[in-house]
Amino acid sequence: MALRVRIASILAGLAGCWLLDALCRGLLRESEQRLVVLAGLYVTLAVSLNLINGIAGQFSIGHAAFYQIGAYTAGYLAFFYYGKLPLQGVPWLVAMLLLGMITAALAGLVVGLPSLRLRGDYLAIVTLGFGEIIRIVVQAIDLTAPTGEQVGGALGMNVEPRIRIIGLVWLFALTCIAVTRNLCKSSHGLALLSIREDEIASAAMGVQVPKMKVAAFMIGSAFAGGAGVLLAHSESFISPSMFPMDLSFIVLTMVVLGGSGSITGAVIAALTLFYVPEYLRGLKAPDGTALTATGASLLGWVAAVVAAVVVVRWLAYRYRGTARQRALGYLLTAVGVLVLGRLLGWGLSFLPALQQAEYEVQKLRMVIFAGSLIVIMLVRPEGVLGRHEFSWDRLARVLRRQRPKEATG
Amino acid sequence: MSLLRLEKATIRFGGLVAVNEVSFEIAPGELFGLIGPNGAGKTTCFNLITGMYRPTSGRILFKDKDIAGLPVAQIVRLGISRTFQNIRLFGSLTALDNVVVAAHLHRRANLVDALLGDPRSQADTERLRAEAMRYLSALDLQDVASARAADLPYGKQRRLEIARALATQPDLLLLDEPAAGMNPAEKEDLAGVVRRLRSEFGKTILLIEHDMRFVMGLCERIVVLDHGEMISEGPPDHVRNDPKVIEAYLGEAV
Repeated sequence: MALRVRIASILAGLAGCWLLDALCRGLLRESEQRLVVLAGLYVTLAVSLNLINGIAGQFSIGHAAFYQIGAYTAGYLAFFYYGKLPLQGVPWLVAMLLLGMITAALAGLVVGLPSLRLRGDYLAIVTLGFGEIIRIVVQAIDLTAPTGEQVGGALGMNVEPRIRIIGLVWLFALTCIAVTRNLCKSSHGLALLSIREDEIASAAMGVQVPKMKVAAFMIGSAFAGGAGVLLAHSESFISPSMFPMDLSFIVLTMVVLGGSGSITGAVIAALTLFYVPEYLRGLKAPDGTALTATGASLLGWVAAVVAAVVVVRWLAYRYRGTARQRALGYLLTAVGVLVLGRLLGWGLSFLPALQQAEYEVQKLRMVIFAGSLIVIMLVRPEGVLGRHEFSWDRLARVLRRQRPKEATG
Repeated sequence: MSLLRLEKATIRFGGLVAVNEVSFEIAPGELFGLIGPNGAGKTTCFNLITGMYRPTSGRILFKDKDIAGLPVAQIVRLGISRTFQNIRLFGSLTALDNVVVAAHLHRRANLVDALLGDPRSQADTERLRAEAMRYLSALDLQDVASARAADLPYGKQRRLEIARALATQPDLLLLDEPAAGMNPAEKEDLAGVVRRLRSEFGKTILLIEHDMRFVMGLCERIVVLDHGEMISEGPPDHVRNDPKVIEAYLGEAV
């Protein structure tokens, strides 16, 4: 039975990736296909960091370094060896994927070792430093190829050939999700969680804390490295500026926002946080010009959202009513925001200074992005999903609970 | 043959001698008590035995093997398990998962099996879960198996700590103030549990306790510590009437 479910889910995963690949090729423009690839890579990064940060509880903020190590492994190997080995196209990419994972895992080992002595903030600082070292070292390396050509360095390097396979990127993301989920469902996963909860008690129960911590670092880094390989071959160009410290922080934000430790949360947050800025970038007014907003309406919306946050926090933490009343409260708040935002915007538009100030929404996209992070953290500090996971069983249970009426009726 | 033997175990923290040349022996199957006023060095003794501290000098023999300074996880494998004075459960895990973590010591599947979701690993985890459930039932916690450990009432948290320690399948169980903060009825219950740990599970037990009456009624042999020194040793009746013990607890007779 278990085996049949396993085979079925593997086949479903393969079929899903193939379908996604076919659909994207058929329906999307080149630039949009690129976004689908990047989304898959972000999902991989978030889920793999979630393993280190959320599940094993080792506060790491240097994830971009492993991504970069994978990318440059592929970049250098492609430059020096592509065409000289009997590997081309997909087999080459798969070979690179494995090598990139191994290199990044070794780097993960190097960073994992200090985690045996350091905790919390201190470990965070070490991982941060490591991330910067990798970026700067890569920036400083100038190799000269036999042809006299400069490779790498601050200006980046071309990665030939370009291999962009959406299906493979998402298959890799699914593999990362599946491996993490398998781990979580096993007693080994519980051992990792126990380290997050209380390291001393964990050791006292016989958990080999050092080994498990380093394993978590290596597995998480390996997946980030694999994502780097896929990035390098998909973009066909890599440079140190593609792996800034910000990237580590954005991935960390995805993990925390989704709910530390929740794989489902990491996936949802990765997709949302990746998509929202892209969506805002493309916002247009109906007549095709850039969308603008007046100072009055912006201020109105901000005030309405602040009010809503206050109400939602009150409902969530202070209000003593039934779950149904609370849900009704949330619904009313949502409607209230829309009404209040419009109303305040209208009211404030009588102030000439506010009415005349116009802003392009595109340019505010990072402000809106950052603002929504603050709102989510205020409303739900444990992350969107907390520590919950999506499960077919629970979905089935919810559906079944509602079914009997139909069945008897 | 003794199961555990301390030979002049000593630990200094800077100028403070927390435990000074303490020697005692515990035979298999014994119910042994370690008592003394606050700050006497009882918990430090536990930390020495379980490997959390390395003794400055002296030896700690378990099954005739010197375990002083071995890593904590290694000592658990040899068969010593403990509970904590200030409860240290894995708060956001369920009661059952807390015990599964301890039972994980006796897993058969390896990490790679777990990552691949191999049926062997799944079966192994199921087996550990069933085993953990047995320990929960033994401590009458089966009804709260799926509750978060942090949400349990205090008395149940204390019992869960014992269930968890039991799941590593130790030969020697160290209980650090298991009755702290309990009312007399709960203490009576707990004494029954401790006796069962020996009769049903065949464990040797070393327990730290503050409450003299609780220890006197339960333990067969007692060691009394004061300021890191061993001041008395023997059966409860002997210890109870030892003038040094009385002095340590009540202060010098005027």
